[in-house]
Amino acid sequence: MKEKIIEIITKILQVPEGTVTENTLAEDLDEWDSLAQVMIIGELEKTFQIHISMEQAMEIKGVADFLRLI
Amino acid sequence: MEKIALLSNVNVNFVSRKLKRSFEVYETEGYGNELGVLLDPGSSLKWFEPKAVFLLMDLAELLEHECRPEKGGEILDGWFDSLESAMEEKTLYFVSDGYLFSEERDVLSCALTAFQLENLYQERLQGLFERHGNVRVFPLRRLITGLGEERCFSWKTWYLGKILFSNELQDCIAQTVEKLMETEIRVPKKVLVLDLDNTLWGGLAGDYPAAELELSEDRRGLYYKNAQRVILKMKEAGVLLCIASKNNEEDVRRVFREHPHMVLSLEDFAAYRINWEPKDLNIREMAEELNLGLDSFVFWDDQPAEQALIRELIPEVEVPKFPEDPGEMCGALRKLYDDFFRKPRVTREDLEKTAAYAQNRERKKLEGSVRNFQEYLRNLKLCAERVDAAGHIDRLLQLLNKTNQFNLTTTRYDLAELEKRVRDPEQRVYLYRVEDRFGDYGLVAALMVDLHDVPAITDFVMSCRVMGKRVEYAIVSDVEEALRKEGKKELCASYLRTAKNAPVKDLFEQMGYELTAEEEGGKRYRISLQEREPREYFVTMKNDG
Repeated sequence: MKEKIIEIITKILQVPEGTVTENTLAEDLDEWDSLAQVMIIGELEKTFQIHISMEQAMEIKGVADFLRLI
Repeated sequence: MEKIALLSNVNVNFVSRKLKRSFEVYETEGYGNELGVLLDPGSSLKWFEPKAVFLLMDLAELLEHECRPEKGGEILDGWFDSLESAMEEKTLYFVSDGYLFSEERDVLSCALTAFQLENLYQERLQGLFERHGNVRVFPLRRLITGLGEERCFSWKTWYLGKILFSNELQDCIAQTVEKLMETEIRVPKKVLVLDLDNTLWGGLAGDYPAAELELSEDRRGLYYKNAQRVILKMKEAGVLLCIASKNNEEDVRRVFREHPHMVLSLEDFAAYRINWEPKDLNIREMAEELNLGLDSFVFWDDQPAEQALIRELIPEVEVPKFPEDPGEMCGALRKLYDDFFRKPRVTREDLEKTAAYAQNRERKKLEGSVRNFQEYLRNLKLCAERVDAAGHIDRLLQLLNKTNQFNLTTTRYDLAELEKRVRDPEQRVYLYRVEDRFGDYGLVAALMVDLHDVPAITDFVMSCRVMGKRVEYAIVSDVEEALRKEGKKELCASYLRTAKNAPVKDLFEQMGYELTAEEEGGKRYRISLQEREPREYFVTMKNDG
């Protein structure tokens, strides 16, 4: 699960493998802007058939927040 | 790197981001202002000077969620007019086709309304495409239907950031942009050389009809039939088709002629070599015949040995891999088309090319097979029949008054004069029906003789449809023979020059008549009916008087 989430985020951000870890925060990577954030949420929802509410989405700051939600 | 711009009424900035690997991509100022960016002469897009602009339009947003077709049509008219006025000659415009997707779509009272709205968009796009050589259609619709809506759209990202397209669809869009740009730049191949046995059909032409070929509407036969359908569409898109096949030509012709499931016909091929010569020689010959370089050829053959031969001996020719399972043939052909032939735009001239090459071949063949004119005439199996002129007076009148080229004296008549003439015992009116093995030409020639004093041909007319076949020789000989039997000894004739009848100015000389007078306006002739030389013609006369 954790690996899959990191893999999806890495793919969306188009960064080299290993760049994203479970401790990565959005503010750590230039690629992880608000546009990428939306894409990541959309992709994770589709892949894991889950629902992330608008409020939850606003509070996501990094990989750890996604891991907690999923 | 080429410069491109992606404009949209939804957020496609992430697609632009994906494309930065391969292109210099215009940084959009948000989204939904595609027309403003295009129309504004001082916009950053104008300064950027992209080679291509991609307009990826969401139809529901473009329609402002208007679902009434009349209103929708007006909105679309306005959008397309603005786009058209903003377009620049030097830029390519890839405009996406219409696909309606919205929350309310499936609640429309009539399910057909969505198609109707899409068609309104499609029609306008088609018009734009036809009017401008720099417009291309971006196949967004095919990408969506290929993946399925479920995988293409994401409401979550839509509400969060006006991003309608899923990551997967955005990847597909980015790949398509790359492919289209490559198509735009490369030089496409022109000729597809096809093998026949186990390529256009399963089995061997030489065994047919004793053994069935695999070519039908079901099971394995359908693999081959569908492959032919794909190939026919390639031909219609401008690919020149050729055959290089080791077979007896007659066996192959029988398959083309008789097999009920053949989609392609021999006329679809610009050139063919069906013989037992090595295929590299045949391909070189066809390249010469078509006057095209070998580097515009692609070779499609199921035999690994033949593939290897061509790769070895003509490295300029592309030899794609032939699938081992014929079930994969259609997919492989589609890929072959994309890889080598697909053009940015298919023009009308492309569509007419094969026809021109094929006509040329037919003409050459005729020259080759018909050794000389006599043989050609003999093969026509011409037949002429003298009919009673009084029974066809209207046609006679028409022939005399309408014929310009093959008309020796161009005297025009009215009906009364002609009726009188037909009944006059001192006049002879001869009317002929002509046919050959291709069909009946009808009543196409007439000759009139005045018997007063020395008999004289006063009129001789023939439809241009039967000119050049020496029918005139047969007719004059027939008339001369009839007059001779009546006891006439001599016959006179004349030619009166007009602006149109130059083709027959030397007709009587050619038939052995003696020139007796020549003046500015024409010539007079005479011939002895007893001592005339026989003429060479190949027309059978069946006279019923």
